[in-house]
Amino acid sequence: MGKTAGNPGRFCLSCVSVRMVRFAIVLALLGGCIIARQSLEMPTNDETTVALLTGTLGHPMDDIARHPWFAVRKKGETDWRIYEVGGGGTEHDPFRDHGSYGHPILHKVWRGAEAERAAECLAKYGDDVRDQIERDYVLYPGPNSNTYGDAMLRKCHLHASLPATSIGKDWRGLIGAGVTSEGTGLQLETPVVGLKVGLKEGVEVHIIGLSFGIDLWPPAIILPLGPGRIGFADR
Amino acid sequence: MRRALLLVMVAGCARWGRKYGDDAREFQGGAFMHYELTSATKVDAYDSPRDLVLAGAKLHGFVGLSSTVAYHAGIDLAMGSTLRGAGLAYDVAGYPVGAAVRFGRTSFLALGAGIGAMGAMGTLDDALTIPVEATLEVGGSWRLLARVRTSWVEAAPGRHDGAPSVPFADELDGMLALRFGHHYEDYGYPSGNGYFVGVTYRELLGDHWVGGAIGYSIDLGTPR
Repeated sequence: MGKTAGNPGRFCLSCVSVRMVRFAIVLALLGGCIIARQSLEMPTNDETTVALLTGTLGHPMDDIARHPWFAVRKKGETDWRIYEVGGGGTEHDPFRDHGSYGHPILHKVWRGAEAERAAECLAKYGDDVRDQIERDYVLYPGPNSNTYGDAMLRKCHLHASLPATSIGKDWRGLIGAGVTSEGTGLQLETPVVGLKVGLKEGVEVHIIGLSFGIDLWPPAIILPLGPGRIGFADR
Repeated sequence: MRRALLLVMVAGCARWGRKYGDDAREFQGGAFMHYELTSATKVDAYDSPRDLVLAGAKLHGFVGLSSTVAYHAGIDLAMGSTLRGAGLAYDVAGYPVGAAVRFGRTSFLALGAGIGAMGAMGTLDDALTIPVEATLEVGGSWRLLARVRTSWVEAAPGRHDGAPSVPFADELDGMLALRFGHHYEDYGYPSGNGYFVGVTYRELLGDHWVGGAIGYSIDLGTPR
């Protein structure tokens, strides 16, 4: 790295600079880039639907922190019931407009019988888990709204993952281990370091709540910035 | 006489308590955070370790009763590798002692001292460090980010006197970067964020190292 051709002892400063600039440009171009992102069009109400979405916090945290919410709409209804920390109630279009949270990303949609089961589970446990997390709430490293999102995914066996910028999603207290929310991997967590490994999850290292890694399916690099990944959208 | 003196002391304490009690309710403060990826390559030698790449985060804050001078503390955590030396590298430090001078909306000069650890498995002796760091951040959406750190090294005699430019310390490193981002004034509170790119310089093991830095930075503070 950084050596001039034909002269192995000499250092080539311009080579290092060019490489760093090239790397910076690639990262800048790819930063925030998700391929095949899910549409924010609301599904039809001919069957029960459950959706997992996240949105950015306000400035200046908008590139490093996201907040999740579950939106539930029963068959034939027009409004959505919201499950989240620090909120709740019903909304008309939580796919595009959810309070102060910006740039929503739809991570997963469950429909039909699967959604019926998910809606029932969220209704049964959602408020209790939320109340418990709101009582113990710590903005960073957790438990926070992302801890709630991940806990409900696991509790209701909804196979999905929150993005890397959902800081707090991997909070398990002083030490914790178990099956991942996606359901195809294992994770071991402490507040300082943690590790998630799985068939679909890939390899994700957690350092002081920040996630770095490689998602195997859909393929992406996991980073604690922007939408949390560079590559294909998770679904 | 003693009774009069006691009365004056009590009155003085009450006045001091009222003054600083009010001030405490109107404290001033701020914080900055960096996600960083830095590289450094040895300039004047070809022996191992020759490259050092670190990725990590810096989180610092300052708080005080004045809008200009504040107590400053922070924590830096980074991990990486010496690349072809293949050593897992780490550079961590906590700065419990420090002071910051704020100016402009969110600009500041901060000094910090503390304790840290730095090394790389098999390639750079593990060492306990006593770092003293100066950090300067100036500007809003376009923001100059600069820092310089000298460290005294313990538990690794091979790393003593490794900084030719600073004979009083064992190691030296710094970064100069420019952030391209945004400045916000939401609810009257100044803040900013954005990506930055810059250069790094290090004196370690008696050699000069240079490299690049890219990252993401956030700053916020109480209105001044």
